[in-house]
Amino acid sequence: MNNRLKVLRAERDWSQAELADQLGVSRQTVNALETGRYDPSLPLAFKIARVFGQPIESIFTED
Amino acid sequence: MSKKLTSVLVRTCIGVAALMVAVIVAAVAIGFLSAHGAIDKDRGLLWLVGAIAVTVMVGAMVISVAWMRSIDEAAREAHKAAWFWGGCGGMSVGGVFLILASLPQAETLSIPAWFDGRTDPAAYAATGAFGMMLLMLIGYTVVWAWWWITRLRG
Repeated sequence: MNNRLKVLRAERDWSQAELADQLGVSRQTVNALETGRYDPSLPLAFKIARVFGQPIESIFTED
Repeated sequence: MSKKLTSVLVRTCIGVAALMVAVIVAAVAIGFLSAHGAIDKDRGLLWLVGAIAVTVMVGAMVISVAWMRSIDEAAREAHKAAWFWGGCGGMSVGGVFLILASLPQAETLSIPAWFDGRTDPAAYAATGAFGMMLLMLIGYTVVWAWWWITRLRG
């Protein structure tokens, strides 16, 4: 699954650690999400969507 | 490190320290009572070690639950993958030794004796269980490290 996490984070000028704090996960997890090597659970995906104020499908797309 | 994780580590350290104090007090008490003939030393030692073993294992489970609740979902996923793939991989390696041990050529091997000279049935059982656990733990560690390494490369 592809995602726009890195772009959205860069647009807001947040560090990985800042985003991790908002999501309640570790910086390593944010890194794994951004590289597309880890797909989040539904609850985390909803949380990500809430933090960025966008619908899930605009952040995550199928390969 | 998250506050939850720090709390788990602090509670673990307190638990280990409390256990060590309890063991010392119990060992002194058993020594005192057995010296005065109030209890049998061997039986006292058996009860003490049994109580320590149960306490340590129950404590380990309690800490594991608290640990798993304190980490995030990716870290939890890494542990799950490590437990399944690493544990199964380690068990597969152990299975090879298990099959080899059934051969007549293995009759002359006294593996437990390599460690402390004991060759009684309990020593064999413990050595086999320990060997299997060790292989599973190695597999667990390898898969856990692999899981993170592959996901943290940019």
